[in-house]
Amino acid sequence: MTGSAAIQASLYGSHALPLRPAGQVMQLERLGAMHQSRLSFMRSLVRRIMRERWQITPALMELDDQGYGRVIYRIQAPQGCYSFVLFSDYLSPEDRNDRVIATKWDLTMALVAGDLATEVSNGDESYLQQLRDNVPKQEAGRVDSRVFVLSRANRSARNFDYVVDQLARGEQPEAAKIAKVGYLYRTTAVYGSGKLGMADWQKVQSHWLDFARPFSAEMFVCFMLRNFSLLQAEHIAKTRSPDTFTPMELGLKRYFGIGNSTGLGMAPYLINHPLLINRWVEMRELALGRICAMAEPDSSVRDRFGALLQRCDQHTREVFCEDEWQENNNRMLLDDLQRLQQQMIDGISDWSSLLQWSTQHCSLQGQEMLVSVLLELYPTLVDELENHCCTNESMDLDPQMSLTELTSLIENHYDWALDIDFSQPEAKQTFWYRSEEKMEPRLGDCALEPGADKQMPLGIGYLVRECYDQLQAFAGHEQATCAEFLLQQPQSRGIVRRIQAMSNTLFGEIRANLLDKDVLPMHLLRAKLAFFGVSKFDPRSKLWVRNTMFQGAPLLEDIGKPFADDWFMPLNPQSNPQSDR
Amino acid sequence: MYVSLNELSAALRRCFEANGYSVGQYEDAANAIVWLEQHGCKGLDELYRSLPFLETDQVKPGSQVSYEDASSLVLECTGRSALNCVAAAVDLVQVKARHAGIATLTLHNCHNRMFVMKALADCGRRGLSAVAYWQNGSDVITEHTAAIRAGDSYPNYARVALSPEACDDVAEHQSLTLLCTRQLNLTSSLRNQLKGKDLLELTPQQLEENGRVALDKGIHIDAQLWASINDIGSAVLVENSESSRQGAGE
Repeated sequence: MTGSAAIQASLYGSHALPLRPAGQVMQLERLGAMHQSRLSFMRSLVRRIMRERWQITPALMELDDQGYGRVIYRIQAPQGCYSFVLFSDYLSPEDRNDRVIATKWDLTMALVAGDLATEVSNGDESYLQQLRDNVPKQEAGRVDSRVFVLSRANRSARNFDYVVDQLARGEQPEAAKIAKVGYLYRTTAVYGSGKLGMADWQKVQSHWLDFARPFSAEMFVCFMLRNFSLLQAEHIAKTRSPDTFTPMELGLKRYFGIGNSTGLGMAPYLINHPLLINRWVEMRELALGRICAMAEPDSSVRDRFGALLQRCDQHTREVFCEDEWQENNNRMLLDDLQRLQQQMIDGISDWSSLLQWSTQHCSLQGQEMLVSVLLELYPTLVDELENHCCTNESMDLDPQMSLTELTSLIENHYDWALDIDFSQPEAKQTFWYRSEEKMEPRLGDCALEPGADKQMPLGIGYLVRECYDQLQAFAGHEQATCAEFLLQQPQSRGIVRRIQAMSNTLFGEIRANLLDKDVLPMHLLRAKLAFFGVSKFDPRSKLWVRNTMFQGAPLLEDIGKPFADDWFMPLNPQSNPQSDR
Repeated sequence: MYVSLNELSAALRRCFEANGYSVGQYEDAANAIVWLEQHGCKGLDELYRSLPFLETDQVKPGSQVSYEDASSLVLECTGRSALNCVAAAVDLVQVKARHAGIATLTLHNCHNRMFVMKALADCGRRGLSAVAYWQNGSDVITEHTAAIRAGDSYPNYARVALSPEACDDVAEHQSLTLLCTRQLNLTSSLRNQLKGKDLLELTPQQLEENGRVALDKGIHIDAQLWASINDIGSAVLVENSESSRQGAGE
């Protein structure tokens, strides 16, 4: 494995690989056009599970004929033993709500350190009872630092009942129906990183090494939920009609993912963790840079490239969404994929030229799909970078820096912010705030709604502009230090620290004015979800989006069997007859 | 009850934001409290004492330079909490120490000076050695010192309750003296520790171990204090309205 020092040398300094420029990569619209890739966290997690042959077994299974009850999976991974605990309860129709503000759910879950099932089998139910008392309450409950993920999910009622009916009758669900809604459950929140009393990320990273990658534990809970959802559907069908029941075909089973609704809560994360986001982008761009610099498109790779383009085409055709904007994006993507196919037929000399060609002839959707496909072609150049997606997120002030240098940093790294005309009211018309309802992040219009005085400081461009203007007003003090400036202007302390820290990174900030009247938060959501590895984006407004996780991923029963790590852009098993292996 | 470090930090940031602290200031204030508490130095007790004054701190004048030369700085902190001013002050003396080799900082009228501990840890991490000294209290005067070596992550700390004859008028001024250097490795111990009472000493190793335990178990906090912090912080939340709910989801 390449060490951290070599990775740094590939990014910074005289031996750095040529990468796409920050001004191109960090445009919000381009980030919002990203797709899943080999480096997405779901792919990375599944690779680890499959390669390390994790032993995941239902160690306590107490479900009634309706599928209600409690379940514990024991997870034996190379570095530790963990328990996935799940409570399945009746949910009345009037309580069914996918919003973060809901208070009851079909399923509630926790990922816990240690072997809880053995504790229970040894007669000690105290900790399980503690979880039973709190996990179903989610935000209204408290857990302790043995827990490191908390989540909940609701059934996709139509799909779930249909699948159970079919299996109970001895028939398979129709793949065409599953293509429309590719899941049995939707998760509406997945909490980690110390929320509600759980273990802090530093503890997860240092104590539970099997999950010491960004969002690895959170993704694992969704992976387990997906497996449980299939088990539960089969359990109910079998209990209802033991004589006629038939288990689901494996190819079809793999085509089920987990639904997800993501709202504005994800957007502030991207702005509040700029060093981490920069790191994720660095790894993705480094993977691309390696491919462009080191890989030649020989005939076998070109064949695979063509097959992947066709798969992307088919996958995109199988996306069902009602949103006109997303539909239009998908149509443009299909056109781009046709053009890329034609380019391949005409002959590809090197990947760098194709990438350059795509910037002239493809939409952002198509350009970023090309990046994901290229990453798919070269696992040996790409996969190891998943080990470098963590970073130290602390920002340290350099009090000694002169104001001349600080000014220069702003002019060089935040030119995009200085280009925004904040004297126009539209440039500051949107404000981001925390609602009284579970502190849910929301957007407001300064002209129409109260609360702008309590807005979150997410307008980084505007804060930089203010700081820059204050520096100009400090004229004549160019050799003064930041420490002296901040004694006079303490309100700039946060943004000065941020400017200094982000100027040391390769890609820096997301380049967008989040206060603009026409800001599209969907791009932020889409960017983070692409890093996670979801598919089937289905925006329901400009503020929240449905999507599917782990569609096409291996099942628990696949662990230990040959694994090709080829579930990129999964297809309906009817259009992909090889899937039923 | 127990809370995680992240949870405590987020609640504290909201609490200070609600009291008018700007982004960098509320981050520093929250970090200073969490650092003290995580490392066994009773940061939450110190916070509890400062809560009644938070609101007024922001309307007091900012720190004023009373005296300054190449290697020394005296700041008038106008009766504010160290949460509000010590980070910026220590930044200034660090700059002087880098230029002059050794520099001194004196703060006057600064409350909750225990919060200087996080700033000392920052000095060590930035390759500077520093030592701080202060007295506190009115009926019972306590004397405090903390020092860190360049490159270290944790300072040592000592506190002792002084006998009446050992007291001087330093405590009345709510003062703190800090020496910072890039040339020496400073350590400190209290001359009065043999004569005083209730001696408390914490070594860097003890602080580190306390930090490990807190990361493992979480932070124990009085439920009422937790409620107070969250109650104050709720002032940054915006009231619900039907229009605000629209578009945010199903």
